[in-house]
Amino acid sequence: MNPIRYSSEAPLATFVAEGAGATLRLAGDWRLPQVEHLSAALSALPRPARLVALDGGALTGFDTAGALALLRYLQQQAGTDLRSAVPRNFTQHHRRILDVVAGQLSRIKGFEQTRRPGVIEAIGRASAALWKLLAGHIQFFGYIAAGLATLVTRPQRLRVKELAAQLEQVGIRAIPVVVLVTFLIGLVFAYLLGVQAERYGANIFVVDGVAIGMSREFSPLLVAVIVAGRSGAAFTAQLGTMRLTEETDAIRVLGLSPMDVLVLPRLFAIVVALPLLVFVGDVVSNLGGMLMADRVLGLAPATYLDRLQVALRLKDVIVGLAKAPVFALFIAVIGIRMGMTVSSDTRSIGINTTSTVVQSIVSVILLDALFAVVFQKLGI
Amino acid sequence: MSDAVLEVDGVVTRFGTQTIHNGVSFTLQRGQLVALIGGSGTGKSVLLREIVGLLRPSAGTVRLLGTDIWNASAAELSAVRRRFGMMFQDGALFSSLDVAHNVAVPLIEHTDLRGEVLWPLVQLRIGLAGLEPGSERKMPSELSGGMRKRAAIARALALEPEVIFLDEPTSGLDPITARAFDKLVRFLVDDLGVTIFLVTHDLDTLLTVVDRVIVLASGKVLADGPVREVMQTNDGWVQSYFSVRTMIGGGHETHGT
Repeated sequence: MNPIRYSSEAPLATFVAEGAGATLRLAGDWRLPQVEHLSAALSALPRPARLVALDGGALTGFDTAGALALLRYLQQQAGTDLRSAVPRNFTQHHRRILDVVAGQLSRIKGFEQTRRPGVIEAIGRASAALWKLLAGHIQFFGYIAAGLATLVTRPQRLRVKELAAQLEQVGIRAIPVVVLVTFLIGLVFAYLLGVQAERYGANIFVVDGVAIGMSREFSPLLVAVIVAGRSGAAFTAQLGTMRLTEETDAIRVLGLSPMDVLVLPRLFAIVVALPLLVFVGDVVSNLGGMLMADRVLGLAPATYLDRLQVALRLKDVIVGLAKAPVFALFIAVIGIRMGMTVSSDTRSIGINTTSTVVQSIVSVILLDALFAVVFQKLGI
Repeated sequence: MSDAVLEVDGVVTRFGTQTIHNGVSFTLQRGQLVALIGGSGTGKSVLLREIVGLLRPSAGTVRLLGTDIWNASAAELSAVRRRFGMMFQDGALFSSLDVAHNVAVPLIEHTDLRGEVLWPLVQLRIGLAGLEPGSERKMPSELSGGMRKRAAIARALALEPEVIFLDEPTSGLDPITARAFDKLVRFLVDDLGVTIFLVTHDLDTLLTVVDRVIVLASGKVLADGPVREVMQTNDGWVQSYFSVRTMIGGGHETHGT
């Protein structure tokens, strides 16, 4: 009566009048690839007076997707179900599928899409999350302080072997990249200063600029950023993986303390290694500056060193070196805590590692700014 | 249409000098529930990976749903991949997506269904896999082992596959959950007409729901047939494998609880 054709084959669904009611005759392929056509064909049907039967005799294919389309049509548009509209002529297999899907029908609702939070809500949630993160860091810092206190009373608990391994990883293996980066920055810095200084015939003051600028400000900052990316991220990834494989739990069960075995060696290693690396940076950046001064500004290395004696006060070097352990402490606390708080899926290792790098770099820069203000006020 | 869903013919696998399979052959008929068993290191999972097109065998052919997997064009391979599903041992759910989106991935990638058709289908799959309502929004990390496997089954079911491959479906599950999973597998075969090929170590699965067992030993198919027949095979490994069961329950079967 109401043929709806989507292919050259028979219409997918037609009404056949039968006494007081109507039979819905199904034909053709009622499977997943056709399911859009099926829904369209069904919703285009006129609303029947009374549907009394379903005829599945002409079906060539029928699967759960087809069954679902049919049953949802019955439920939503025809306002009936399999008890009133009796299935007939279905093969045993098709009938089973129909019954199985009918059994699931009650749980199927429209799918509410995830609501996107508004701007204000998003800001609020992010602030709350940030506060929670900071509070957690402070709490973790407390744990570390307590662990340090125990260590002071019983110094034999210090894990010398782990500490040595970490020192090698964090300190010695970082030297090549620190040398490369600080050398190049020293070189570039000397060149940029030189171009300006040359105009005033003040070539010699390039030494002041490179020496003071690098040792007071840039070397600590650069090295801290490198270490945050290298070791902070590594701490998170290592400890996170250990948590996922339950190694940290095994350490506890074996009667060892994760604080002694995992946390403190890493903390000490980074706090010791960072100032040393900064000193390497101080020296190497001046080598870079010296090379540039020699080649471009006509300042012989001997002259450079001579000026360096006058220009660079011990105070500037110490100020730079003194900042390093503080940076290191922050990197360690962030890296270790983010590793220890990895949740039970692999994805969170990646998320936490990224977060460690971002947090460490931001905190290093904030601390540096804070130091600048404090030193200014103190007149150092 | 031939009723052979899968034909494995003379598959040889070598890793370096080590020969894992030395001419493995069997066929799988439509509508069967077949289990592959064998001791550790006999290459059951390797064979499964060769069948589904993840690992190329050193020699031999694999015809899955009429397609020669290792000589098929990319287009043919992609077409056949829509016709079978695979459940990996620990589910291999995408950890960044919730259950509903995990199940929706094949539907979104391989069909053009609109949301109002797609999401009810996703919910149907999740229901058929036996996950309770409300699981849709859960992330894989929030699921128990059994639920993870059910979610993986739901994803494997997404495109109405003709065949589903299961790698150790009941490993790591408690006996009750494992038996419920067996019933789910049987239901898929009986009520939805899916052909299922599974790798297992679970004797209860073999004795209660499987139609046919293939035993892999020293690189060959050692025995192939209904469980009762395979149990009679005169082979040391098969005998000791099944004797574990006889020791505990005297061969008594536990039909689904």
